Amino acid sequence: MVEPILEVAGLVKHYPLTRGILFKKQVGSVKAVDGVDFTLGKGETLGIVGESGCGKSTVAKMLVNLERPTAGSIKFKGEDITKLSGKALKSVRRNIQMVFQDPYTSLNPRMTVGDIIGEPYDIHPEVAPKGDRRRKVQELLDVVGLNPEYINRYPHQFSGGQRQRIGIARGLALRPEVIVADEPVSALDVSVQAQVINLLDRLQSEFELSYLFIAHDLSIVRHISDRVGVMYLGRIVEIGRDAEIYDHPTHPYTQALLSAVPLPDPEARERRERIILTGDVPSPTNIPSGCRFRTRCWKAQERCALEVPALAVPAEFRFAAGPAAHDSACHFAEEKQVVTTKEPE
Amino acid sequence: MLLEVRDLHVEFRTRDGVAKAVNGVDYGVDEGETLAVLGESGSGKSVTAQAIMGILDIPPGKITGGEIVFQGQDLLKLKEDERRKVRGAEMAMIFQDALSSLNPVLSVGDQLGEMFVVHRGMSKKDARARAVELMDRVRIPAAKERVRDYPHQFSGGMRQRIMIAMALALEPALIIADEPTTALDVTVQAQVMELLAELQREYNMGLILITHDLGVVADVADRIAVMYAGRIVEQAPVHDIYKAPAHPYTRGLLDSIPRLDQKGQELYAIKGLPPNLMNIPPGCAFNPRCPMARDVCRTDVPPLYDVDDGRTSACHFWTECLNG
Repeated sequence: MVEPILEVAGLVKHYPLTRGILFKKQVGSVKAVDGVDFTLGKGETLGIVGESGCGKSTVAKMLVNLERPTAGSIKFKGEDITKLSGKALKSVRRNIQMVFQDPYTSLNPRMTVGDIIGEPYDIHPEVAPKGDRRRKVQELLDVVGLNPEYINRYPHQFSGGQRQRIGIARGLALRPEVIVADEPVSALDVSVQAQVINLLDRLQSEFELSYLFIAHDLSIVRHISDRVGVMYLGRIVEIGRDAEIYDHPTHPYTQALLSAVPLPDPEARERRERIILTGDVPSPTNIPSGCRFRTRCWKAQERCALEVPALAVPAEFRFAAGPAAHDSACHFAEEKQVVTTKEPE
Repeated sequence: MLLEVRDLHVEFRTRDGVAKAVNGVDYGVDEGETLAVLGESGSGKSVTAQAIMGILDIPPGKITGGEIVFQGQDLLKLKEDERRKVRGAEMAMIFQDALSSLNPVLSVGDQLGEMFVVHRGMSKKDARARAVELMDRVRIPAAKERVRDYPHQFSGGMRQRIMIAMALALEPALIIADEPTTALDVTVQAQVMELLAELQREYNMGLILITHDLGVVADVADRIAVMYAGRIVEQAPVHDIYKAPAHPYTRGLLDSIPRLDQKGQELYAIKGLPPNLMNIPPGCAFNPRCPMARDVCRTDVPPLYDVDDGRTSACHFWTECLNG
C-alpha cells in the first residue's frame, strides 16, 4: 500500500441531548459517528458512501476540524491533529481543505470571487505575500477553468457549476495535500456534473492531491475512487478497493445498496435481482444492539443482536486471496454479485 | 390517447424580460403507460406538468398557445370550476418534496380524508376510514394508529408514500410525478418506485414521470421525451434511446453519466451551460454546445423529424447521430 497521509482510528462524535433549561441534564446522545477507522494513502481517492444520517458529513467536518471528535484520533502524516492547538493546528489545517456541497450557500454573496478565493491568504499570509495575491487568484481561476477576468464578479453572476469551480479554487488556494469533498457534485445538473468530476480528476494528478470523496451517489464514487468505504449509522460496514466493493460485496447492506441503484440501461431491468430493504434507517439516538443493520437485514439471527461484528476480513475469506477478502463487518458475510461490470468500450 | 399535449407554449413575463419556458411541446400518454420526461433544471419539464394540471402561477406565467387534450376535451378551454373537478379526481400530481407539500398543521388522516369530503361528499367519519385504507394500501405500518399523526412524525419515505396515497385517493386516470424520489435515499427510492409501478399496473393509470435521472428512467419508463430549452428534442421508446440516441444532446447526457457497472476513463462532458430562457440561441437551441453543429443549425430551427415508428428527433443531422 502507498504511504498513508491520513490515519483515522476509533473516531467518535456524540452530540448530547439535554433536557431542562436551568439544570441541564443529559438524557441521551445522538451517535452521529460511532467508531470509524480508515487510512487515506498519498495521492489516493477514498470514497465514502452512505445514506443520509449515516455520519459521513460529520466525519468530513472532524477531518477539517470544524467539529471536535468525542473520542479517537486523526493522524496527518503521523501527527494526531485532534490534540493540537494554536500554531501547530493552524499549519496542519492549511494542508487539509474542504469543498462543500452547496455552491449556492457556501460562497458569501457580498464578496467578490477574488476576495472569496483570496480569503485563505488572509489567514495564512505566509503562502502569498500581499502584492502577489491578485496574480495567484487569477492563476487559480485559470486552473479551475474560469476566465481570470471574472475576478471582480459576485457569486450570483455565475451558474451552479461555475460556483462549484470557485469553491474548488478556494480549496486549492493554500496548496493543501488533502482535499475533503463533501457531495461536491450532487447539487449540479447531469451535464455539468461530468465537467466538475473531470476537473477534480485533472487537479488530482496536477497537484498530487489526496481526496476524501463523500457522496451518496454510488456511480460517481466508483468513477472517482481507488478505494471505497460504505457507512451505515455511524460506522463503516465494508471497505476495500473499488472492484472489491462493487463486484464482490460481502456485506448485506452494501449488496442492497448496490442493487437499489437504477442503471441507465433498460435491458438490465429484467435481468437484475433487486434487494428491496424494508423499513427505514433507525434513529442514531437509539442504535440497535449488536449489528446495527440487523433490523433491516434479511439474514439477521440471534447472534447479530448479541455480538457487534468487527470490521475485518470475515473468517471464511481470510485465507482466500481473492477479491472477496476485504474488510466487512458481518457475522454471515458471503459474496454476492449484484452488478455486472462491463469493460468500457 | 388519454392525454395529448399539442404545441404548448408557456412564457413568464418578468421585470427583466420574457422567459420562454415552454416552446412547442408535443407529447402524449396512454392508459397504463409510463412516459418519462427527462431534462435538466430550466428545461421546462415541470412547467409543462403544471400547465397540464392547471396549477401554473398566472401571472407571471401565461399559456400563449397549444392544446391539452385530456379524455377528449381541451382542458385549456374549460372554466376554472370545471377544471377543478378534473384536478384531483381525474388527474393528480405527486411532488418532489413531500415535507413542504403536506400541510404541517393538519394530521395526515385529515389531509387524505379531505379528498373524499370535497370531491365525493362523504362524511368525516367515512372519509377517515377511507384514509386508513389508503395508508394501508401504500404500506404504512399501523395505519389505524398513525392516521392522527402529523407529517413531521413520518420519515421521508413514508411521507412520499402518503403523497402517493393522496394522489391515488380518487383513482385518477392520470398521475404526474415530478421528481418523486429525488429527495430520497437509494434504498428508499427503490421501495417508493416499486410501489408506484405496482399501483399503476393495478389501476391501469397513465403516468408521466418527470426526472433528471437516466437510471430511474431506464428502470420504469415505456417511452422517453427528452426536453431542452422548452422543447422536446427527442422522443422514443425506452429501449431504442439507450441503444442509439438520435439527438446529440441525448447522446451527450448518456455519455456524461458515471456508471455503477463500469470503471470509467475520463467522462464525456457536454461543454458550456444550458441557455438563458430569456435569450434562447437562434436556430437549434442546443447549437452552441453541440459537437455536430454546422451553419444550418445556427439559423434554422430543426423540425421534428420522424426517425422511426413512434420516434422523433429535433436534429437536422439525426441520421448521423443515430449511426454514431
